[in-house]
Amino acid sequence: MTKTPAPKSHLNRRTALKGLGAGALVAGAMPGFVQAQSAAPIKIGFQKHATGIGAAYGRWYDATTQAAVNRINADGGINGRPVEIVTEDDGTDPKRGAEVLEKFANQHECDVAFGTLFSHVVIGSAPRAGELKLPYFVVSEGHHVASGMLNRYTLQPGITDVKSQVQSMAPFVANNLGKKVTMIYPDFAFGHDHRDFFTAAIEAQGGEVVAQIAIPPAETSFTRYFPNIPRETEVVYHVMVGPAVLTFVKELGEFFGPSKPEIFGFIDSLEAVDIRSPGLEFLEGTYFWEGNPRNAQADNSEFDTAYRAAVGVDDRGASLTDSKDVSTYAHMFGCWETLNIIKAGMESADYQGPADRAKLIEAVEAMTNMPHSLDHPQGPKLFNGKTHQVFGQQYISKVTDGNLVVAHTASIEDGMYEDEVDYTTQSF
Amino acid sequence: MKQTNAIARSLNPAIFFCCLWPVGAVAHPAEQGLVLLLPTELYNWGGTLAVVASIILISAVSHRLLAQCYQSIAFGRGKAGARAVHITSLLSTLAVFALIYIGFTGPTDPQRNLLPLTIWTGWWVGVFIVQGLIVDVWRWIDPWAGASRFAFGQGDPILRMPAWIGAWPAVALFLGFQIFMLADLAPSDPGRLATYVFGYWVFTFVGIGIFGRKAWCAQVECFSVLFDLIGSLRAVQTQGTFRIGLPGHTSLQRAPLDTAQAVFCLTILVSGSFDGLSETFWWLGHIGINPLEFPGRSAVVIETITGLIGANIAGILIFAAAIWGGQRLVAGQANLDFRTAFNSFAITILPIALGYHFAHYLVSFLVQGQYLLAAIGDPLARGWNLLGLGNTTVTTGFLNSTETVKPILLAKVGMVVTSHIVSIAMAHVLAGRFVQKRRDLVLLQLFLCILMVLYTFFGLWLLSTPRGA
Repeated sequence: MTKTPAPKSHLNRRTALKGLGAGALVAGAMPGFVQAQSAAPIKIGFQKHATGIGAAYGRWYDATTQAAVNRINADGGINGRPVEIVTEDDGTDPKRGAEVLEKFANQHECDVAFGTLFSHVVIGSAPRAGELKLPYFVVSEGHHVASGMLNRYTLQPGITDVKSQVQSMAPFVANNLGKKVTMIYPDFAFGHDHRDFFTAAIEAQGGEVVAQIAIPPAETSFTRYFPNIPRETEVVYHVMVGPAVLTFVKELGEFFGPSKPEIFGFIDSLEAVDIRSPGLEFLEGTYFWEGNPRNAQADNSEFDTAYRAAVGVDDRGASLTDSKDVSTYAHMFGCWETLNIIKAGMESADYQGPADRAKLIEAVEAMTNMPHSLDHPQGPKLFNGKTHQVFGQQYISKVTDGNLVVAHTASIEDGMYEDEVDYTTQSF
Repeated sequence: MKQTNAIARSLNPAIFFCCLWPVGAVAHPAEQGLVLLLPTELYNWGGTLAVVASIILISAVSHRLLAQCYQSIAFGRGKAGARAVHITSLLSTLAVFALIYIGFTGPTDPQRNLLPLTIWTGWWVGVFIVQGLIVDVWRWIDPWAGASRFAFGQGDPILRMPAWIGAWPAVALFLGFQIFMLADLAPSDPGRLATYVFGYWVFTFVGIGIFGRKAWCAQVECFSVLFDLIGSLRAVQTQGTFRIGLPGHTSLQRAPLDTAQAVFCLTILVSGSFDGLSETFWWLGHIGINPLEFPGRSAVVIETITGLIGANIAGILIFAAAIWGGQRLVAGQANLDFRTAFNSFAITILPIALGYHFAHYLVSFLVQGQYLLAAIGDPLARGWNLLGLGNTTVTTGFLNSTETVKPILLAKVGMVVTSHIVSIAMAHVLAGRFVQKRRDLVLLQLFLCILMVLYTFFGLWLLSTPRGA
């Protein structure tokens, strides 16, 4: 595996802090900072899953955030002012999430809040963001933003939502893998969403779901469910999650042996898990949705290459300093892109301080096309200001020799759907 | 779009097993998955070994021989640097206040702030284990000893602590500490933790000032009681005459404890076990939580607190029943009342508590220890590099490979089984103080031994069962 030199911005406390310190130094040294009306830093409150069930994501969201801010500061900051990240642990808990937003607004005097993946934290925090009139940029890929259940102060401009992701998989599955699909999913809301979204989407492509196999959430052995897979099945669509995922894959492999149908899953099941882990050999030749391809591709974009280096991730999506430390690569780009959107929004709104928060939201709402660039290394995007949700490309990768090789890139249009809300009609 | 759909995309979920305890942040999707894939023979062997060792120890090994083995050997005498201890204690006081300052003013991220890392990783895990296995570290870093001597001298206390209170206040405080650790919304929040640490330091300091250090630290200050009990397990003892012997030789000298101390021993074990239990699919299922969709601590505060207290009550009652059963079986042969039996055998629970503490926190310690080292190298978040570790990157990669997950699991299983054997051996020696005939020896310990075996299986199950919180 080729390793690139260790970047300055890395999964590392010291370098991150140095970065902040450097930001302060740069404030005095760089023309951009000097010309600003205020040299005071722009404070961005980062809701981090430092503890709780989201901690593995929190660690990499943090690394990506620090890397993005180091880059922004190295490029002159925002409106000539350095950016400072104020990190608070949300404990992956909705009540604590709301508490943290309050600290950002009242104690740390942050300009905006950002971060967090788990939907229940976002849903628990967003109402408080509205009350505090604190712009809240989330990176959760939940459909809760575009569904209209949140408020004008909550935006998701840096990562696509699950409805879009699932919908955009159907054309490839129907046209390349097969039209008769058996779905295996955990029997709760998350699995039900996949069942409902994908069943509708595959039918729109002329396919059908021939069996829906719901697995009880507490199940840790799966062999007895597999005989329910109809013989006519051409594709197995699985979205199992939890500690028993590796067991599920191993048992599925043992059940089918060499003559397996096509298999399609979401990388969420194996995010931060080495695809070469023992027992996962069966995944060879199967397909995964990826928000951002974990493995650098043969035709890798210069933007992804630079982004990897900045965050400290190698060609297989693992830490540069430990090749077994696999990142949450499919999701964490959202932090990088969101911070760049905050920067672009603040510069567009000529943001000076909390009094300009509404102007900032209006500036982001006015955004549309976001071209593929180092600001958006995952790919081009289209932002919908009315629904506060961004749309983008999705990737389908095939496990080939233990690598995730992109087999198909779903277009932005594949994931578009009708607006369900117009937040711009809500007053500030 | 329905709300359930929105909530559903808590989609992240490859990650379902982080600990509830505040060090947290050990969540790593592969480790548990790999543990579930490992052959179950490991646990079967561990459990079988525990059972066989138990049977051999209580039925075939002469308690006299064992008691002789538990005779410690003196190898010196000294005050072990009494003056130095006062100095290190004062330095520890300074360190505590520096940590409190860092808690209030340092990084708000608990993985970058030295206070929560020191308290939850360095102290609660590290000092606990070192105190039980290696050296009397608490004596050197007790943050009140030097300061109270400096402030209050060694004169008579202002008030006398009633003896009848025993160590019950310490039991209550320790339970309160466990509730804070397991049920509080953000026990790692640096500012919040600093407030608690400062408050507890002042509370203890004032208490010592009024009631005297000896009484306060034996009856109220729960960590002095805890480390005193756990420290008695060490093979090497350095109080007064220096002695070396089998682990627990000094603990046996303490038996019988007073009742509050006996209950304290049980509380250490049961609270630690409940911490592990509360993360399991089993527990989450019983409190109506989908183990794949843990809603956060705030959703289970009442369940956690009532569960912790209920587990302690249940644990004490079950232990008492085992002791009562044994005592009744030999009632005609031994002049042994229930209270003496309860207060004596409670000390034999300590090795299991120490072993489980090690097993439960090992993975967390290996991850959080890296953050702690980084924070020690740069305590004020100024970009320093005091430990010369440079750009060391925190990694959880070792949880991502069978090659490293397996030895970690082996270490846990080994510790649980070893501690079980030590407990059984201690119980056997204690039994010999009350009865002499082999039949009575077996009967007296029978239920306790069965309880210990079951608890060891329970501990091994806790290490292997899927966790969702």
